[in-house]
Amino acid sequence: MFGYVRPPLQALPQEEKERFRRMYCGLCHALGRQYGQAARFILNYDFTYLAILLSEPEEGPVSSARCYASPVHRRAYLEPTAAMELAADESVILAYWQLRDGVADHDWFHGAKYRAASAVLESAYQKAAAKRPGFDEAVRTQLSRLSELEAQRCSSMDQAADAFAVLLGSAAGEVDDPVRRRVLEQLLYHLGRWVYLVDAADDLKQDAAVGSYNPVALRFGLTDGAWTAEARREFALSLDHSIRMMATAFELWDFGVWTPVLEKTIYQGLFQVGKAVLDGTFRKSCREDERKKLKKVEESK
Amino acid sequence: MNDPYQILGVPETATDEEVKRAYRELARKYHPDNYHDNPLADLAQEKMKEINAAYEEITKMRSGGRSGGTSGGYGNYRGSTGGYQQQYSSQSSSGSSVLQQVRIAINTGNISRAEALLANYSDHNAEWNFLRGAVCYRRGWMDEAKRYYQTACQMDPGNTEYRQALEFMERGTQSAYRPDNGQFGTEMCGGNPCLPLCCLWTLCNGGGYCFFC
Repeated sequence: MFGYVRPPLQALPQEEKERFRRMYCGLCHALGRQYGQAARFILNYDFTYLAILLSEPEEGPVSSARCYASPVHRRAYLEPTAAMELAADESVILAYWQLRDGVADHDWFHGAKYRAASAVLESAYQKAAAKRPGFDEAVRTQLSRLSELEAQRCSSMDQAADAFAVLLGSAAGEVDDPVRRRVLEQLLYHLGRWVYLVDAADDLKQDAAVGSYNPVALRFGLTDGAWTAEARREFALSLDHSIRMMATAFELWDFGVWTPVLEKTIYQGLFQVGKAVLDGTFRKSCREDERKKLKKVEESK
Repeated sequence: MNDPYQILGVPETATDEEVKRAYRELARKYHPDNYHDNPLADLAQEKMKEINAAYEEITKMRSGGRSGGTSGGYGNYRGSTGGYQQQYSSQSSSGSSVLQQVRIAINTGNISRAEALLANYSDHNAEWNFLRGAVCYRRGWMDEAKRYYQTACQMDPGNTEYRQALEFMERGTQSAYRPDNGQFGTEMCGGNPCLPLCCLWTLCNGGGYCFFC
């Protein structure tokens, strides 16, 4: 479910890319300090966005350090703030339950990697859940709702998406300002809805091949994992309405220095990812990037 | 009171033309049409009031003693420019007092009450479907909203209120505000190489995705 929200790098000026990266690295440090080195592997862009949304409009103090990912050059990172710690705690809870979900979804053999990873995260999760019981409770409730809907092969994609959307929306539960909380809950609800639906669309072919539950396939009666023109149009429209809800919520709160990256992500990045998923080029471009990335690493040795 | 220049996001040295442009851009963003049926419409309305007041104040200050200093285009953004009606007014109601209460509940933002009232109403007529759609839309259930509006239109093809709601679902996002005036929509993001945006940081997060993808 993670990996669909990304900064549209080609549309961002260098300054904003670096700011995003300082947050990315800052969240990584926050995870490391709170939960130990092993917890840092859960870091991703989605959690970085969560940290940005929960953050103050100003950037806090910046430090720099070497790390496993950058053992030679020191990298600038944001010193963890209260908002980043909240994001780190919530990230651990989300990642842990996502992994447990993976264990439940696979047989003993194929679930091995999920079991291993969730075992590594176990103590971190215990700590995070004790710190944020409300969020942990919300995540557990919504995920069990989701697996019930999946078991019933629920054909309403709105209903299935609602569980994940509510789950993500509850990440704003600890925000004090009532206006800000409303704005964030709405933004995160539709981000969750969008992510869930895009993920289902991305899995269309695979789910059709193995006969897994897919809310989008059921909604539009797609049996072979291929879109019909009409279904695709309807589906894109539904995504656009969610993006519109995110955009209108985003405009009602001052996100300060984070405005440019959020703006480009909402008004450009999501459309691009959605389009790539519908075209079936998203996974491919990911794999190619993964290959290039590996090649680069090999060459630099 | 807050500095009106700050509200419009322009320096005090800005020309009249720049002030007007800034005002128009903000008014486009927070316009009631852009927050049509939006659960956060009340917040947008507050913003709109603030912007209008700031613009009014600057125009007044700048026109100095001159009487009747006008502000071209200012009035344009006062109210709705006639998108489909904002309120679920009584005029189009069929006269059922329960459905009337549903409209009131939706207008006051009490979606749970509206939902409960609809659930207990057994006559699933055109208006019931329309209101059910309105409730879905506010909850963020966009697909269901559209389908209920469709049913309402099929049952009562002549009703303007239902037709406008369905049209909004069909084409509404095309008119959505976007800061760069670009097109708003997944299928609109055209020609440009749509997605050379993968990882920028080698090695960072190497293991992260493989578990989740």
